[in-house]
Amino acid sequence: MKILKSISASAIGLLVGLTLLLTPALGQDNPTLSDAEVAHTAVTANQIDIDYAKLAQERSNNAEVLKFAETMANDHKAVIDQAVALVTKLGVTPEDNAVSKQLLANAEETKEMLRTKSGAAFNKAYIDNEVAYHKAVIEAVEGLLIPESENAELKSLLQSIVPALQAHLEHAQMVQAELNGK
Amino acid sequence: MKNLKLGLLPTSLYFLCLFLFGATFSPAPPKVHTVEISQMRFNPDTLVVSKGDTIVFVNKDLVTHDVTEVSGKSWKSPALTSGDTWRMVALKTTDYFCSYHPVMKGKIEVK
Repeated sequence: MKILKSISASAIGLLVGLTLLLTPALGQDNPTLSDAEVAHTAVTANQIDIDYAKLAQERSNNAEVLKFAETMANDHKAVIDQAVALVTKLGVTPEDNAVSKQLLANAEETKEMLRTKSGAAFNKAYIDNEVAYHKAVIEAVEGLLIPESENAELKSLLQSIVPALQAHLEHAQMVQAELNGK
Repeated sequence: MKNLKLGLLPTSLYFLCLFLFGATFSPAPPKVHTVEISQMRFNPDTLVVSKGDTIVFVNKDLVTHDVTEVSGKSWKSPALTSGDTWRMVALKTTDYFCSYHPVMKGKIEVK
């Protein structure tokens, strides 16, 4: 339950829904995600950030924002490729689940919000969301997906992704500071 | 025969001196150093080398990186996908970073 509290604290907009969802998903301190569901959730979380990056590439003219978005698209694609290669090797079929569904529902709302903005307002909204999203995903990977993984290779892959997520977060914070004129 | 031996002596001394001089004063041959890119870091992030040494960057991460001189104007590696390597000869002290992930920084110190 500790993870639920810290997740909701770090990215309220994104994670109110996720937190509400995780409570029944985790049960009474009895996590129940299978490896197939962990894999699906990880791929979904990466795909969502690729979708955000595509929006930025369509709507932004800021060089720093575009460079950041390109890195997000490429890196998260590389992670998905690794995850797919692993589950193929393990003979696991990623399985849709309540956490993935809630992540997608939240992402749809965020994309709708981003589509209403342009220029500097879009850049700020996109980068602010990237900061919040990466904080939330790091919390979810460390606090939920890694502990829930039973297969050692799946757990190892998730652990190897965390440094990239942290570098993305720091990069997003750098761009955020520049946009804010700091 | 006697003249021949005397004639060879200065030549032998010349080569002996050349050998001793060379062994004592010639600079050390260039070395090859490796910087491993893994877990979103350059390892080691600071590398002390001699001028003319070669540095081999090896990308062992999942994602693409590069090695870019800090100003972005002096030198830059191509994009290094997972498993790629790139070699450069160190000529002067410089800071560098990954242009895809600007939080990743390193330094080459030429002594």
